Amino acid sequence: MTRMSLGRGLTYLALSLVSFISVFPFFWMIIGATNTSADVNLGKMSFGTALFDNIAHFFSLFDVPRVLLNTAGIAVAGTALTLLVCSLAGYAFEVFRTRYSERLFALFLLMLSIPFSALMIPLFIMISRAGLINTFAGVILPGIASIFIIFYFRQATKAFPHELRDAARIDGLKEWQIFLYVYMPVMRSTYAAATIIVFMANWNNYLWPLIVLQSNDNMVITLIVSSMRSGYNPQQGAIMVATIIATLPTVIIFFLLQRRFVEGMLGAVK
Amino acid sequence: MNRMSKGLKRSLAVALAGVSMFSVTAASAVEVTVWCWSPEFNGAAMAAAAEAYSKINPDVTINVVDFDKGALEQKLQTQLAAGITDDLPDIVLIEDYGAQKYLQSFPGAFEALNGVVDYSQFAPYKVELASVGDQTYSLPFDSGLTVLYYRPDILEEAGYSREDLTGITWERYIEIGKDVEAKTGHKMTSQDVADPGIIRMMLQSAGSWYFTPEGEPNFVGNPVFKAAMTTFQNYLQSDIYKPTSGWNDYTGAFIGGEVASVNSAAWMVGGIKGNPDLSGKWGVVPLPALTGVDGATNYSNWGGSSWYVIATSPEEEKAAAIDFLTKVWGGDVDFYQKILVGQGAVGSWLPAREGEAYSSSDEFFAGQPIWADFSTWLGQIPGVNYGLFTNEADDAVRAQLPALADGANVDEVIAAIDAQVRQQIQ
Amino acid sequence: MRLPNTEVTFLGAKAMAASRLSRGELINGWLFMAPAIVLVGIFLIFPILWSLWMSFQVGRGMNFTFGGFANIVRLTQDPVFQRALGNTILFFVVQVPIMLTLAALMAVALNDPSLRFRGLFRTAIFLPCVASLVAYSALFKSMFADAGLINNALLSLGLISEPIYWIRDPFWAKVLIITAITWRWTGYNMIFYLAALQNVDRSMYEAARIDGVPAWARFVYITIPMLKPVILFTSVTSTIGTLQLFDEVVNITEGGPADATLTLSLYIYNLTFRFMPNFGYAATVSYVIVVAVAILSLAQFYIARDRRKS
Repeated sequence: MTRMSLGRGLTYLALSLVSFISVFPFFWMIIGATNTSADVNLGKMSFGTALFDNIAHFFSLFDVPRVLLNTAGIAVAGTALTLLVCSLAGYAFEVFRTRYSERLFALFLLMLSIPFSALMIPLFIMISRAGLINTFAGVILPGIASIFIIFYFRQATKAFPHELRDAARIDGLKEWQIFLYVYMPVMRSTYAAATIIVFMANWNNYLWPLIVLQSNDNMVITLIVSSMRSGYNPQQGAIMVATIIATLPTVIIFFLLQRRFVEGMLGAVK
Repeated sequence: MNRMSKGLKRSLAVALAGVSMFSVTAASAVEVTVWCWSPEFNGAAMAAAAEAYSKINPDVTINVVDFDKGALEQKLQTQLAAGITDDLPDIVLIEDYGAQKYLQSFPGAFEALNGVVDYSQFAPYKVELASVGDQTYSLPFDSGLTVLYYRPDILEEAGYSREDLTGITWERYIEIGKDVEAKTGHKMTSQDVADPGIIRMMLQSAGSWYFTPEGEPNFVGNPVFKAAMTTFQNYLQSDIYKPTSGWNDYTGAFIGGEVASVNSAAWMVGGIKGNPDLSGKWGVVPLPALTGVDGATNYSNWGGSSWYVIATSPEEEKAAAIDFLTKVWGGDVDFYQKILVGQGAVGSWLPAREGEAYSSSDEFFAGQPIWADFSTWLGQIPGVNYGLFTNEADDAVRAQLPALADGANVDEVIAAIDAQVRQQIQ
Repeated sequence: MRLPNTEVTFLGAKAMAASRLSRGELINGWLFMAPAIVLVGIFLIFPILWSLWMSFQVGRGMNFTFGGFANIVRLTQDPVFQRALGNTILFFVVQVPIMLTLAALMAVALNDPSLRFRGLFRTAIFLPCVASLVAYSALFKSMFADAGLINNALLSLGLISEPIYWIRDPFWAKVLIITAITWRWTGYNMIFYLAALQNVDRSMYEAARIDGVPAWARFVYITIPMLKPVILFTSVTSTIGTLQLFDEVVNITEGGPADATLTLSLYIYNLTFRFMPNFGYAATVSYVIVVAVAILSLAQFYIARDRRKS
């Protein structure tokens, strides 16, 4: 048993070390938010007194609540649509496989590798011709069918017991009902992980909103944070405040959804 | 010529005033959109300009949108390249180094302003860099005049007065640096070892550049480039600086008071003033000069930017944008005082120096009238044509900096830079 | 050792041969895929063909002419491209295996229901990938500065005798970039492994443990085979992510010193947005990434294919 507890001790030690390394930057960010720009540049590692000045400065530059609302709207709508479209496709690519769908899927995977910067100019022309510049739809639409997420759902579906599907069909459920009432609940931890990933990607998306969005009223959080960084003398303290505000929602989403994993674990133990 | 363009300007202004009066009755307010890249600096200055203009013409709304500088360039380049200009703003801020690239890659995208702007009132070098042929496209904005910021307290401790630093050469600067460290323990300056900024300063200070005015690579056989590279190699090997990596590290060293001086641009005043502990402990003199080359001066430029009007904007917006730029940015002395005090923005419109703020002494710089000095020096910066490929050339120079620092043969380094640039610009 | 059920869920899928689908299933299948196919067609395939066409164009700004293979010839003579390609391959070869191994080990450790503070550890390890790029790059620059936290710590521990110039030494800059990507993306990959482990029947582990199978063998013979689809997924996506590496290098080292951390994606960005725009050549460089990813993905699918079939 000592060998066991030694192993356990090492696990705790390793996890604590990794956790510390992972969290440290966030601690540093919070310290930075309380210091003046000059102190942040000097790498001061203790709390300062400039927090309220920094917050005031940030809020004086931008209409922060509006920007957060825009970002949240885009992230929530984009995430919901992506999950629906991609889980349907990922499920179908695995369960209803045909020779043609397999070839199509291989083609899809190949496209995953095109760097976005190579597509930006054609995409911009398309969105612009469609009259979607400076609209949220223009930001959301090109990202909905994410091959990455389709691929993820397909791989996860490989673990979906097909006996469940067979049983549901014997009970007379239609295919869409099986998807809705059997697949979705069973795969909830997959959905939870995908939600985190897709929400995060939408919330932190920068390059494409930058190209599509034009007016101050439609700005998203990544755009205003990055606009604070350029210029000759960026206000580091205020940038830290902005960064914290920009990071918080994804952390909260993760906190809320990670309980799904725990539930899954408890279920397995029973 | 000048009188004619002034007359033109006036008649246009009158016509515009008429137009805008009509538009009041027509209730169709004009909105001019401006893109810029720093909410604290040029964005704030633009907002101040918008306020000043609202008193002249309340029917026009100036809508200022801030981006990241790289982001703005990306957005602009994407839209120009796509050939879709509907969503471009009416006015855009472009950094001077990139001006020729945009003007020549996208002919017809920007409006020539020769007819309406009296360019004799702007610093000549700013006008030259925004000209293609006999057309000039910009309303010149902030100057990147380069100066030597120094700490009188540290230098006096080492036995150097203001006179000892004024109008010196780079050799002398390095000598003083060694002495200062020996006597005070402070490094003379901080240097981002991956940044070729000083090479650019040196080149322009002697009226030369990476490219000839005809656009040919100007490395091999260019005495100024060789002098700059040799001087920069001596400087890199001199150990008078604190080596830094990245912008914050570099600025932190002098803003925080660790080093005794820095060669930087006029826009750095805002950063230096960010540390109130050192108020009254700074001074400014002109930049060190190169030695052994014709046309060497103590004046140069680093960065700086200008406003450009998009030619394809709707006529009404374009007219309003031009009127706004000429009336405020090319005609309002008080406005320039405001942005000088508020943002530390040194404009390149020469009449602005007649204003009160420009002649005032600055307590942070121990009572030195730095703005008056800046505007005197500003007129002496040699004009050069940055050409189309500043970024390509910069990257080629940057790739050779470690070799240069290690003491490589300067001629070989120059040949390598030349080869890479020729390959890149084919 | 018995492997209950896995055969059915993992290999069984293979047994459901394509030909056995009924007409109704076929229709449903294509209907389920339809929204994704339409969207991918419009927003991916079409622009990709467009950029493929551009890669045969030469010229700058808006003046294009058909150049045939001129851009490909140019690739072979371009020293900057070759440096970028070399760096990118190096990052891929070194970084992806390190990160995925770490992610799998941590996922397995955190999947143990008797472990305390699991939620806390999980959140902590995941946090880096939600960090905004601004904070992340500023932090790494400051921590790895000449007189930064890392050097101070290493010096005081006596591990090094003089500071390591992380950002301005070509070798250490590469190490720094690899460290930074690993820091940021390990937790992210761990989430996929954790989610996959939830779908695994725990009774199998219990059975194996009761049979006296040691922990390492359980990891190698149960966990890894069961995670195979997800391992394949993470390795393909990490390959793509590394070959498209951009954010880290542009924000931490700007591709320097002396192009030591310049990647293909950064070079494409430079060609498109920083340099005198040359879209045709930029598109050609991006197809180099496509070809590389295609080869590597095929290799990964090949390695992960089912060997137990025969």
